[in-house]
Amino acid sequence: MPSIARTFVKAAFVYFVVAFVLGALMMLERWLNFSRWLRVVYLSQLHLLVVGWITQLAIGVAYWIFPRFRKEQTPEPRGSDTLAWAVLIALNMGLLLRFLFEPFYLTGPQPWLAALLALSGVLQALAALGFAWLIWGRIRPMES
Amino acid sequence: MPTTSRLFVRASFLYLSLGAIIGALLLINRWIPLGSAVLALRASHIEFLIAGWLIQLILGVAWWLFPPMALRPRPGSSTPIRRGQAQRGSEPLFWTTFAFLNAGVLLQAVFAPLYTWTNVRAFNLLASISGLFLLVAAITFVINMWGRVRELGRRT
Repeated sequence: MPSIARTFVKAAFVYFVVAFVLGALMMLERWLNFSRWLRVVYLSQLHLLVVGWITQLAIGVAYWIFPRFRKEQTPEPRGSDTLAWAVLIALNMGLLLRFLFEPFYLTGPQPWLAALLALSGVLQALAALGFAWLIWGRIRPMES
Repeated sequence: MPTTSRLFVRASFLYLSLGAIIGALLLINRWIPLGSAVLALRASHIEFLIAGWLIQLILGVAWWLFPPMALRPRPGSSTPIRRGQAQRGSEPLFWTTFAFLNAGVLLQAVFAPLYTWTNVRAFNLLASISGLFLLVAAITFVINMWGRVRELGRRT
């Protein structure tokens, strides 16, 4: 597994654990009422699972196992490494921005918080478009 | 990767891009109001990313990578019943899965917001039946793949 794919998959595992820790705390909070913050974190938790865990794992595995370009075609058989790293950084920065600031926005909306959330959305969308661009040429028969 | 899987995977990446762009619009709308109509796109955002992207990618990759069906010789002959691509299962049934899955995704993603914007009952009906399309996609996929969930390397 190439290092970029390993980073995607390890990051996905981290989000998986963090999302489940949050999920457990959210369940316990209903009973123990120990943090009001946990009541507004549900959207972030959902995105940690769907984007941080499942989507990031799918991206990492696709990057690893999809048919590679021939060496005569390009020196980078999995496509541009720079673009792959940019996708990784944009996806995770977008996700972390949302995770860190959305609960504060939901408890007290401020324009600067809204701006950061908008930036997080743009970063995640750019990551999605970047990965679709990166992988598109590799969606092809194995033998050609 | 077979043609069938390629189409599933390409469609899934298109939905990922669309879903993420709509997600960005929903977040931008909190900062720069784009109009209350944007909020109705949340249904499309969820549908594109869950059914269009994740589920479709999983189905396409499973069709590509799961162990092929067992080779069974024809009665009274040494030639097998299935060879090559046929060992993946029924291609027409897989195309049926593709058609129903994408019809279900598009019905929900297009008509749920349209109903919110216009209140036309026909749009609500069309969005409501999307679940039935997804159900048919799920059933046809499971029927097709059931025999391929097996130990790799067994030839019969």
